[in-house]
Amino acid sequence: MTVTSEKAMPMQDDTLISVRGVKKYFPVHGGWLRKKIGEVKAVDDITFDIKKGETFGLVGESGSGKSSIARLILRAYDLTDGEILFRRANGSIVDITSLGDREMREIRREMQMIFQDPYSSLNPRMTILDLVGEPLTIHGVGSPSEIEDRVAELLRLVGLRPEYVARYPHAFSGGQRQRIGIARALALNPSFIAADEAVSALDVSVAAQNINLLQDLQEQLGLTYLFITHDLGMVEHISDRIGVMYLGRLMEVGPTEEMFSKPLHPYTEALLAAVPQPDPRGNRERKRVALKGEIADAMNIPTGCPFHPRCPYADAKCRAEVPALRSVAGGRQVRCHYAESLDLTGVAAQ
Amino acid sequence: MIQSNNPFPPERLLQLDDVNVHFPMREGLVKAVNGVSYHINRGEVLGIVGESGSGKSVTARSIMRLQPKQALDAGGSIRFRRKSGQEVLISSEDRQSSTMRDLRGNEIGMIFQEPMTALSPVHTIGTQIMRTVMLHRNVSKADARARAIELLTKVQMPRPNDIVDRYPHHLSGGMRQRAMIALALACDPTLLIADEPTTALDVTTEAQILHLLKSLQQELGMAIVFITHNFGVVADIADRVAVMYLGRVVETGTVDEIFYEPKHPYTQALLRSIPKLGGQKARRLKTIAGSVPDPFNVPDGCSFHPRCMRAVGGVCNVTAPPEVRFPSGQMSRCHFAEEFRSEAAE
Repeated sequence: MTVTSEKAMPMQDDTLISVRGVKKYFPVHGGWLRKKIGEVKAVDDITFDIKKGETFGLVGESGSGKSSIARLILRAYDLTDGEILFRRANGSIVDITSLGDREMREIRREMQMIFQDPYSSLNPRMTILDLVGEPLTIHGVGSPSEIEDRVAELLRLVGLRPEYVARYPHAFSGGQRQRIGIARALALNPSFIAADEAVSALDVSVAAQNINLLQDLQEQLGLTYLFITHDLGMVEHISDRIGVMYLGRLMEVGPTEEMFSKPLHPYTEALLAAVPQPDPRGNRERKRVALKGEIADAMNIPTGCPFHPRCPYADAKCRAEVPALRSVAGGRQVRCHYAESLDLTGVAAQ
Repeated sequence: MIQSNNPFPPERLLQLDDVNVHFPMREGLVKAVNGVSYHINRGEVLGIVGESGSGKSVTARSIMRLQPKQALDAGGSIRFRRKSGQEVLISSEDRQSSTMRDLRGNEIGMIFQEPMTALSPVHTIGTQIMRTVMLHRNVSKADARARAIELLTKVQMPRPNDIVDRYPHHLSGGMRQRAMIALALACDPTLLIADEPTTALDVTTEAQILHLLKSLQQELGMAIVFITHNFGVVADIADRVAVMYLGRVVETGTVDEIFYEPKHPYTQALLRSIPKLGGQKARRLKTIAGSVPDPFNVPDGCSFHPRCMRAVGGVCNVTAPPEVRFPSGQMSRCHFAEEFRSEAAE
């Protein structure tokens, strides 16, 4: 099926990807016969749009389901329910959840992924030419000499010298390997790139170089990014809009500046307050209330609002009723019963 | 081992003078720790920051005498003041010596980045703490168990009476780190070495652990050597900071000096390259050119000069800079440190 299903709302013109009501439950097996004893709701009822040319940041603690979303969009996992609409380069809109393997292979030329660990994501036995050229070979794009030219061009694009094509990954530093991963992702001219903790494993000085590279490439090639990270300073710097996840659910979605200066969800407030700032005087003055407890077990999600056991503002309604993700003023969405009445603190721009 | 002639004042708990640790490798000699000097006073928190390969962990491990087996002690002195007031020259002690075995876990505690690999997976949390207590204190099993529960309570572990009989795999990452801290504190150490203890944790858990460490430090009056690559964490916990690069301490000072008046170009550049939450939104991040050189080809002169914006040909690439000391006690290993006197990192 390559047309939008009837039940769906049409996609807005500036939207590249529309994630609608997406769920992913993983079965948990146990006991003597390895019977299914429960489910982990890794992603539960997620809806958001990624606009063309923007960087959409996803933040949340480990286990919040942010990496699962990237893998669902690229169909590395099949989803339990929901639909994901994607605007192809030729303008047609497809629901990628309904595609077969052959069709999906075509779509994957347009969406690519950059991984966290530049050490384990490159095959140590392949040269840079083979690594960066592999997507081209798989999709049968060009003759061997054309592939060589394209690889050289890609290496220049990511700031590596094209003479390095015959080398193996071990000859490169972590930051350079990450660039090789980026070149590989760009080989087929994708319109969308999911970067999962793409700079988290790098040293501070090198991470900054690679972030600048990603931003330059976005400008030059008109790329759209889904940027997944736990580093709130980094996500604030790179993202136009941000989604905050907790226990498989989106708690808040909105434009970066507005959200960080005035969060609407208590969890966003708590996350921002927890970040230690490189500012000793500020840290001494800032009253930092440490969030109580830990993220709940994904097999036993609390009733009502999943955040209520840790929320300082929770009351009886939060324990009983699951709040819906609803739209509020300023193009923002929030999943909290009391978003309007709470006066939450963000991080003030200096 | 040469005894250093530098004084060892009474308030001093630990002092490193010109410590060198080398690794002979097939490709050549790696000077992982290349003349490191720092000290820590009683009850003080010293933050050690640096990128990977700067030698911050190897230095800490040589304080515990737990450096990798192939490491060569290539000189320098490490002195430690015991609870009794007596001074020990740790650098002349062997890994297995009775003095070291008496110090480790008793007067010096250590916590690591990955509590899952640092804790024994086949013993309960309680057993591991009890063993440490019974090794160093002459107490009965029942008393040791009571002490274990007391320690778990102290690190704000939920349900300590239950957790004491649990195995590490039953616990979440944050709880494991709390168990690790309880174990390190078992014998009231005067020095705690914390090697990236919050790096593997989520921000909210990290904030809890930092808060806990700060309150325990104030309550027990112990000193902490806190190793991290995260400037935010250092700003939060440290009293003084030492910045390391390629096996050397390039700058030391109070936490305010390091963050508001850094006097080494490396510290200045690192601080500028961190995106600050709620900061002015610049389109590009400021970067440091190149990457950390590989340890077999450490540049001549100042090892930072190929990446330094202020490097001067004929000086920085020829002569290793001396330690420039300021009246406040701040130290910078840069030929031009004096010129940064009035400059603050923006």
